[in-house]
Amino acid sequence: MKKEKKNEIIMNVIISAVCIVLFAIMFMQFKTIEETDITAIENMRETELRTAIAEWKGKYEEALEQLEENKKSIKEYEQTIEDNGEASELIDKDLQEADMKLGKTDIYGEGIVITIKNTDDYQIQAYDLIDLINELRYAGAEAISINDVRIFSTSYIVQLADGLTLVSDQRVTSPFVIKAIGNQTYLSSSLSLKDSGYIDRNKARGMDIELETRNSIQILKNTSNREVKYMKEGEK
Amino acid sequence: MQKKQIAITLGIMCFALTMAIVIQLRTVYSSTSTVPQVLVEDSLRDEVLRWKEKYDNTYGELTESTKRLEEIRKLATQNDITSMAKQQEITESNMLLGLTEVTGPGFQIILSDNNTGITSEGNKVLDISSQIVHYDDLLQVVNALNNAGAEAISINGHRLVQTTAITCEGNIIKINGQRISSPFTIKAIGSPATLSGSLTMIGGYLYIMQEDGVNVQTSQSDSLVVEAYNGVINYKYIKLKK
Repeated sequence: MKKEKKNEIIMNVIISAVCIVLFAIMFMQFKTIEETDITAIENMRETELRTAIAEWKGKYEEALEQLEENKKSIKEYEQTIEDNGEASELIDKDLQEADMKLGKTDIYGEGIVITIKNTDDYQIQAYDLIDLINELRYAGAEAISINDVRIFSTSYIVQLADGLTLVSDQRVTSPFVIKAIGNQTYLSSSLSLKDSGYIDRNKARGMDIELETRNSIQILKNTSNREVKYMKEGEK
Repeated sequence: MQKKQIAITLGIMCFALTMAIVIQLRTVYSSTSTVPQVLVEDSLRDEVLRWKEKYDNTYGELTESTKRLEEIRKLATQNDITSMAKQQEITESNMLLGLTEVTGPGFQIILSDNNTGITSEGNKVLDISSQIVHYDDLLQVVNALNNAGAEAISINGHRLVQTTAITCEGNIIKINGQRISSPFTIKAIGSPATLSGSLTMIGGYLYIMQEDGVNVQTSQSDSLVVEAYNGVINYKYIKLKK
């Protein structure tokens, strides 16, 4: 009788020990599951890495293309020198390309047209235009104009005391018509992002803003001469 | 009776052991599944570096070939005055486009985040965020520099070109698609006095930033180097005809 009772106690102890072990194992399992959640972050890193690869690959291909073009031009010039020929034709071609890149010619292409207007609730500030240009550039705009004033890397936008806005020496007023050449889909979708996009953000502040995609936009050449006064090419 | 109890205990022990083994197997399984994950990432990271290296090499070659092209253009046009003028114009265009490194007098600004929470006058600030350099501060400074007649600008070595956007993703500022962070060194070529005056005068943008508590350092220089654009200007959508 006494021995049986002793056995029973031992049994109980064993069972509870097993229970404790089981609980411990269960907790361990929970911990493992929690840890495996980290793979979500790792996946994110993977997509980020893939974007980086695509970016560098694109840049590489562009650089390669430009390199081939340069090599071809160099050969053409070498040929002219050898033949004692006239380089004027070649230089005209190069100059035309430089003029196009600098905005000295009228250009065409697909893109978007945005019209923003002052309302009773909201007066457009210079920074609204700076912000818009920056967003358009981010979305891959290749050429931009505000009320037919072409925008360059050296352009500036300031507010004058009389309410007019100055875009690189030229006076413009509301309504502002901003034209941008580039991929229509990228441009319009990045501006139309819900809440955080330029359109939603500024509509909420009371700005009157309209976006239109077009298959052919004309951006006028810049007539003002951009003279170089201070900078010189190359190292000191 | 005793035998039965022992059997039950053993049964429970076995069960527990089985469970433990199952769990262990599972853990091993999940950890082996993360190993290839890490491997995939490593190989992707390698690939990023490979493409970057390829780009850097090609870009180096491109810089060389651009120089060579300019030299040979000079050589080919040296006998003809009109062509020489055109050659000069192309060289100037490349400077304006940001395709070549340029030197000249100018103005250098170093902006850095102030993490102390105290303004330059020793007062405590209410909003610490106002002491941090944001992407829109950089946009405003660039706009002000352009207004003061800057001919070429770079931020932390990245030349501003016609397509340059300065954006912010979370707390990372990106320029030309590349990450930059505080301190921001802005170099602008132009008239040092005009550039400096219009930004640091009372009410100028740098004056306002300094009042807010951002660390602002400026210096005028007779000879400032502004780097070339580390990329290619390549238009896909622009056409010369309708």
